[in-house]
Parts: sequence; structure tokens; C-alpha cells
Amino acid sequence: MIEEKIIKKNRLNAMLQELSKEYSIYIPAGENGDFRFCELRDTNDELVFWDYRNTRISPKEILFPHSEILYEFSRDESHQFSISQNNDDQRKMKNVILGIRPCDARAIGFLDRVFIGEPNERFVDPYYLKRRIHTIIISLACNRPQISCFCTSLNGRPDGEEGADIIAFDIGEEILLKTVTEKGKEFIKESSKWLGNVKKSDIDKKNKIFKESAKRINSRVSVEKVKEKLDDSFEADFWNEIHRKCLGCGICTFLCSTCHCFDITDETSADRGKRIKCWDSCMYPLFTLHASGHNPRPNYKERMRQRIMHKFNYCPENFKELFCVGCGRCIRNCPVNLDIREVINQVSQLK
Amino acid sequence: MMKEIETRIKEVVKDLFTQNKIDLFIGYSKGSLPLTSSPCFITKSEDIEKLVWNSFCSNNLAVYLPRIFNPQPRKKEKIELPRIGILAKGCDARSIVVLIKEHQIARDNVFILGIVCQGMGDRKKIRNDIEITGAEEKNGRITIVDENKKEIELKREELLSDCCIECQHATPPIHDILIESGNQRPAAPKGGGRDFEKKSIEDRWNLFQEEISKCIRCYACRQACPNCYCRECFADQTKPRWIGVTDHISDVMFYQIGRIFHQAGRCVDCGACVRACPMGIDLRVFTHKLVRDAKELFDYEAGVFLEEGLLLATFKPEDKQEFISEP
Ligand code: SF4
Ligand code: SF4
Ligand code: SF4
Ligand code: SF4
Repeated sequence: MIEEKIIKKNRLNAMLQELSKEYSIYIPAGENGDFRFCELRDTNDELVFWDYRNTRISPKEILFPHSEILYEFSRDESHQFSISQNNDDQRKMKNVILGIRPCDARAIGFLDRVFIGEPNERFVDPYYLKRRIHTIIISLACNRPQISCFCTSLNGRPDGEEGADIIAFDIGEEILLKTVTEKGKEFIKESSKWLGNVKKSDIDKKNKIFKESAKRINSRVSVEKVKEKLDDSFEADFWNEIHRKCLGCGICTFLCSTCHCFDITDETSADRGKRIKCWDSCMYPLFTLHASGHNPRPNYKERMRQRIMHKFNYCPENFKELFCVGCGRCIRNCPVNLDIREVINQVSQLK
Repeated sequence: MMKEIETRIKEVVKDLFTQNKIDLFIGYSKGSLPLTSSPCFITKSEDIEKLVWNSFCSNNLAVYLPRIFNPQPRKKEKIELPRIGILAKGCDARSIVVLIKEHQIARDNVFILGIVCQGMGDRKKIRNDIEITGAEEKNGRITIVDENKKEIELKREELLSDCCIECQHATPPIHDILIESGNQRPAAPKGGGRDFEKKSIEDRWNLFQEEISKCIRCYACRQACPNCYCRECFADQTKPRWIGVTDHISDVMFYQIGRIFHQAGRCVDCGACVRACPMGIDLRVFTHKLVRDAKELFDYEAGVFLEEGLLLATFKPEDKQEFISEP
């Protein structure tokens, strides 16, 4: 059963203080509207993110960091090899991500499918899993969507619950918390001494604010036909045009909440080395470059096609989901204003 | 004035196509967000109407030229070089000069439509938490509208990019046609970036580390730069690999030091890297130091004189060498 609880904003610090004994708490931190998820260090700090819009870089970086050392290896004088797992992340494996936007919470649900898959899946990424398994996601419904937000075109909503364990609503002096998953319910139970019961008036207030909020999203694209259109468009002329202004900078993929490509590299010296996992992007020349020197995506055109195909054709094929949540990061940050909404529109109109 | 320039641009481009002088024109079209314009590739006269000119035509369009003239992967047969028309502000034209001098583009195949630039605006000058839902530019004033329909009126000058405020070369040093823009902006006072120079070496190093620690290694600064046309960037090389792959500060600094120093005597201070950086790193502080060094030590400014030799490829007996230290 869904549970709803309420907490006064000024009581939240005390609650977080106690939680921080057990959890690493990640919140959006920043100034002048420029936010990034950071670990909450001082639980006395005033929480300033209630009105923030969204972080510049997606919170995927908490669960899937830019780079991580998978293990280190070395060889001693007698040529004995030894391997040591990287343990520096073991301190607190329990995380709370507080204040993540609904689109990004939904995107974490997508990443789960890629890295963990369905239960009993053959392949599970242990590095993602170890962070993910004990992570509680408390999303924060949006009261101030941006003009580049288009979540409502992609099955999202500014108060969408998918991907979150608990969703929080800022209703003024207080925060209303609504449980979404069992994990969330458990968490609410543990923290019950800080939480009060909701009144009907609180719920009315919440409904009113977030109905307004959804109305503010005017940016719409039609995605119904995208997957199908792309099925037959690999060789379409369209790709010759659409990439032209792209710089191949990869911002759109690095900041994106659903992009998840990574590379594995060994950094070695004479007798020791590290195996490192780090973000990669289909927009780069090194992406899937073969050892022979052959590059299956030698140019901007093929790289752009890969990005669009992966999001809107291959992922829907494999995971039954378009891999875009409409967060608008790629739109806000592309240096040449190559707008994914225009690309989607053009794909929809392909013959 | 902006509208008149826009009309003039369209006329010129129309003529170029009618007289069959170009195959492609690179200019700007309307952006999808307020206060943006977007690079635009015109291949037929019907599309000329898409061209715009306003205070946000900031991208350095010269970045597209090397890849057109040296397409990847390299073809065995000789390719027919296309004829390109390109819109060039002062800085774009300076980049074109650098690229010609470095043999990256065929001068005869480029038609340069120069514009005496009034300086371009920077959307990031407006606080990020103001949601700009609309904007209009008129008579040197820019009115932005926020999400609550509140109008904020700004002078064009208030939004100018840092590099534009300090720009000394608003008139394209190279062009085939030049469009004047009337009330010529007075050349800005020289001396930007001095704050950085005044700092002690330790403070400079700390500032460098602090700024660069925000870097996520997306390489947008490199990709947006017309000078970064290497077929394979040192940062991408794997045999051998010069830099570690992580976002650890030492790897990031290695990348940035490499990138920045490759700009010595070449950077035209167009601000493309700063505008592109998604993490808001003020990369210009560092490249600008090189620009000033080139000027002060060797009286050299990149991309200004086509006939002058490249700074790093010229030797004069009287060249300063105090900065060379004993190991
Ligand atoms: S952010 Fe824009 S320019 Fe950069 S790779 Fe993506 S589409 Fe291309
Ligand atoms: S493709 Fe763009 S809008 Fe969609 S999830 Fe990624 S960054 Fe957000
Ligand atoms: S895309 Fe939707 S869910 Fe995401 S920040 Fe914007 S309004 Fe909120
Ligand atoms: S654009 Fe910014 S974040 Fe990207 S590599 Fe350059 S400095 Fe780093």
C-alpha cells in the first residue's frame, strides 16, 4: 500500500544527520542555478535545492562514475602475479540519493535494465550492482520545469514516480513523501520518528501545485513512429544532412542520463597495472575502433546515426523502452544547438 | 542594423549560388532556444531564407573547414574539392588565416563573406536559474522573457562574451566581400587576463587545478576549436598512450596542458572552447596568457597577417629566450 508522510523542511537536517551515520547522502549542490550531485558532508548546511531546476551533469555519475578502477595487478621478482580488487569504495555502500528529478530517476531504472537486467539475468555488472543494491532513490517532483524539458512526450511527468523508491513534493514549508516501492516503504518505516501524517489539505495542495507544473511543459515531440521509422532508415539520405553541424564533442552523451557506454583500459607500467572502466561515447573517434585500425564509424555521420539508433531503435528492441527521458540536457548544452527534438521530428517524418 | 546585415548576407549568398561560385554556404540559422543561433549548411538557393544574423551568431564556423577539405578516412583517389562560402566575423576570419597558413584549407576554394563584428552575446551571462522562455533583439537592446512572463531588458553590451569585450580585430583580416556594420565599436581596452598574470606562480597553479578539476574529459573544448584539426589527437592516441583515461586531476591536467600549449601562437581568442565547455570552466584564462605572451615576447598575433610566417615556424636571431630555463 502507498504511504504518504510529511516532514517540515527545517526538521530535515536533523533527519539527514541521523541517516548519515548509516548512509552516504547525495544531494544537488551548487550556486546560481548551477548544480551537481555531491555527497552531503555537513548535515548542518541549509538545504538549498528545493527550487533547483536540474543538475548540469546527470546523477548517473553516482552509480556509474566517469572512471573507476576495477582492480589492480602486479608481478613480483619471481614473476608471481597478484590481483587486488579495488576496495576504496567499501566504506559506506548504502546511499540515499535525495532530490533527483523524476526524469533522471526514470533513467536510473533504464540503467538498471542495462547493467543488472531482469532477475536471474545471465550477466550482471557487479560494479554497478554493488552501488545500486543499497541505494534509496528519493526523487523530487518538479515545480519549475524548463523550456527544454520534454519528459511528457516520453512517458514521463514532472511528478512521475518510475525509478524512485520515494517521491518528494515540495509544498511550501513542508515536504510530502510518498512511497513507491517496498524498499521505499521500509525506509519510511525506519525514519518514522521524523515523519508526520498527511492531512487532506496537504494532498490537495500537492495536487494543485503539480497539476500546474505539468501544464508548464509545452515542449512536445511525437515519438510513436520513431522506432519503426528507424527500422528501415539505416541507409537513408537523412543521415548525410543531420550530422553536418555536429562537432563530435560528446557532450550530449556524457551529460545524458540514459547514455551508458563505457570503455575498459589497462594502465600498466613495468610490473604493475590497473584495469579501469571509464565513460565512452559513440561520438568519439576511438569508440569501437578496431585493433586493425579499421573504424566501423569513421565519421561524424556514422557516429550520429549510432547515437540516434541506439537510443531510439536498438534499446527499444532490447529493453522495450526509448532510451531518452526528455531531461533536455543535450539540448541545453550542445554547443551547436543540434536539438534532439528536431532530430526526432525529422525521423518521424521520414518516408 | 542586424536586420539589414541579414538581408545583405542573403543577397550575397543568393548571388554566389546564382553565379555558381559555391557548392555550399556555411552561416547561421535560428536556434531552438532563446539567445542561440545554430551553424547552418546551405546547399541550394531555396534554403537561403533560413540564414539569420543576430547577437548570438557566436560559433566559430572555421571549425568545419578542415574536415571538409581533409575528409576522413583518407581516400586513395584524389577528391574534387568543394567550393565553400563561409560567413566570417573577425575571429572566424582569423581562424581561416591560421588554417590557410597551416595548409589545412585551399584558399581558392573558400569564399569569405566577412562581417565587421559588433561582438557576440553569451547566454551564460544570464544566471542559470532564470529560465529564459523568449528573447527579442532590437536597436541594441535585448529583452528576455522569463517563465512568469516577466520582461527583463538588457543592453547588448551587458551580454557580450568576455573574448568579444577584449577583441581587437572586429574587422575580418581576410575576406572576399566585407559587410560593414555601421557604428563601429571602439576597440576594447587592452589588458584582459592581467589578473591571472599578476598572481604568484603558486596561486596560478592552484587556480589552474581548481578550474580544471571540474573537467569531465568530454573534449568539447578541443572539438569546438578550429585549430584542433589533428587527424589523431595526442589525447586519443593509444600506441603509445600518452595520458591516463580517468577524470583524476593528474590525467585531466595532462590533457589540458597539452591542449592549451598546442595553442601557443595559434589561438585567436574566439572563445569557442569556453562557450562549448559544459562544466563552465573558464579555459580562456589560460589560452589568453599564451596570446599575451606571443604578443609581448614576439609581437605576434595569430591569424592577422596571411603573409607573415607562423610564430612557431619562424626564427629570428633577436627572438627572446629568457623564458627558456636551465634544466
Ligand atoms: S553535443 Fe552537439 S555537437 Fe556535441 S556531439 Fe552532441 S550533437 Fe554533436
Ligand atoms: S537524449 Fe537528451 S533529453 Fe534524452 S535523456 Fe539524453 S540528455 Fe536527456
Ligand atoms: S524533464 Fe520533466 S521530470 Fe525532468 S526536470 Fe524537466 S519537468 Fe522535471
Ligand atoms: S569542454 Fe570542459 S569539460 Fe569538456 S574536456 Fe574541455 S574543459 Fe573538460
